[in-house]
Amino acid sequence: MKLAGKNQAWERHQKHIPTIDEEGGKLWGCFRSCFLQSAAPYTEGIGYKILKNDLGMELREAPGHTSCGAIGYHGDVSNLETQMVVAARNFSVAHHELGVDNLFSFCVTSFANYTEMIKLWEEEPEWREYTEKTLKETTGREFWIPHVSGGRPSVVHASDVFFANREKLAAKAKYSLKGVKAVDHIGCHYGKIFPGECLGGAEFPQVLVGLLEAFGAEIVDYPERRHCCGMGFRQCAFPENRDYTASSVYKKLKSLKEAHPDCHLILTNCPGCTVFLDAEQGTIKEVLEEEFNVSILDYAQLTGLLLGYDPFKDCGLNAKVVPIEPLLDKIGIPYDKSKTAEERRRPF
Amino acid sequence: MGTLFNELKQDILYQHGMNACLNCGVCTAVCPAAEFNDYSPREIMNIVQSEDDEQIEDLLKSDKIWYCGQCFSCKTRCPRGNNTASVVLALRRLSIRHGYFAESEKGRQQLFAKRVFGENVLKRGYTLLAENITPAHFPELGENWEYYYEHRAEMRQWWDVPMDLENSPGSHRMIPEKDLDEVRRIYQKTGAIALMDAVEKGMEKKLGSKAEVEKYWQTWLETGDSRNYEIPDRQ
Repeated sequence: MKLAGKNQAWERHQKHIPTIDEEGGKLWGCFRSCFLQSAAPYTEGIGYKILKNDLGMELREAPGHTSCGAIGYHGDVSNLETQMVVAARNFSVAHHELGVDNLFSFCVTSFANYTEMIKLWEEEPEWREYTEKTLKETTGREFWIPHVSGGRPSVVHASDVFFANREKLAAKAKYSLKGVKAVDHIGCHYGKIFPGECLGGAEFPQVLVGLLEAFGAEIVDYPERRHCCGMGFRQCAFPENRDYTASSVYKKLKSLKEAHPDCHLILTNCPGCTVFLDAEQGTIKEVLEEEFNVSILDYAQLTGLLLGYDPFKDCGLNAKVVPIEPLLDKIGIPYDKSKTAEERRRPF
Repeated sequence: MGTLFNELKQDILYQHGMNACLNCGVCTAVCPAAEFNDYSPREIMNIVQSEDDEQIEDLLKSDKIWYCGQCFSCKTRCPRGNNTASVVLALRRLSIRHGYFAESEKGRQQLFAKRVFGENVLKRGYTLLAENITPAHFPELGENWEYYYEHRAEMRQWWDVPMDLENSPGSHRMIPEKDLDEVRRIYQKTGAIALMDAVEKGMEKKLGSKAEVEKYWQTWLETGDSRNYEIPDRQ
């Protein structure tokens, strides 16, 4: 029964993502993430390397692409109308300046934001007219809607692109996750706002599990698997609110530890989860003297490690709170043992 | 039905978020913010559905609307297709426009949102910048982050994600001024600048002067905790 339920959810929540074997599947426009470029820039760095070097993609981005502004939308400095026109501007730049039809974003909040605007334009023609008119008035640009998934108005997330090409990536991998227990943590803004745009749906999302399985990991389940990491925009951004973030992380990791004390790997696709599920383990260790030692890697970092990229220089595991070496040892990934942990992380 | 509720009804965020709430409480059951704070999305929906201006005004002056973490777990689960997180966004904008946000501790934090997320977009085209993630405000990132932060230009080169390049695509690049002008015009035209101005004005009214607003801001910058600023007694 359990499996049947999962399979049904999986069948109901499919979306097409062009692979590199399909026409147009090698040329992508991509939107960088404000959060990643500020708090974890190396994750986009390794993502880029894999998509270009290992999948042979051409990635185009314009100097004039801006933030989608959604941190400010969920942080209450802009209106929905602002988001519509900024989204339309970024789409227009990608299509009319760079000549791309397929677009992905590195941030799940951008993914949700762009998806929300596209659905709004589809469902309410008067808002589409407003956007077209305001875009023209403020920028002189022409309105254009991307149709990335299955020919319908849509964009996808970078982790979708990894998922779609997972067999190719697994075939190139130098290392495997055989014998390694792992679990996914899906960003809320990837899965919960528009479950129909989430591969597998909100309850059984497949985007990261599919990647982990392709690399041979054993997937575990735990009660609080779908609980938010507590990033919360204004909650994580202002130190005096961050008890909410730390509490959410504690609730999740305590639940994982009770169910699977031998699982030390969580795979993420959201910038916020990637940073705070790791960082708050440091707070918890200091405040409660409780250690979880669960490595939090995003889909690009993990894929990079398994493809043989350097854990520090390429995958950027210099700045994690939880030491990465135990996981590297478990997988069998070599690193310079003549150096101390600090020397490996501090090249200058 | 009062004028505040009428204004709320005009907001597309409200129109999209509120169908008809049957008060089942599923949103509160799954809400991470309800678990750790004195907050209940069900209560919010209840108050809004009352269409009672007095209750709505109290809500807009309280900490409650600011606890939501915008995860939208409520949207996924609501059996009636409501989107409480969007209703919260509409309420927050209403609270800002009327200056009510400045009456609560969590609401006053909106000054940081305006001066960080808002001004970042207008100056650089990004809501967050590398320099915002200071070790002082993010101590949990640890000593390796302190090292990174001190060496961030070199570290980013080393990771192949150099920052602040001009006339180039890439991470944390300098966006050309002509593109930034387009974004500024969008923010002006769509009311975002007015929303941000209302934050400065509301804070000035609450704290008594522009100088006090700067003191409040500096307290937060220096200590990471706005509660270290004492609200002037103006009675």
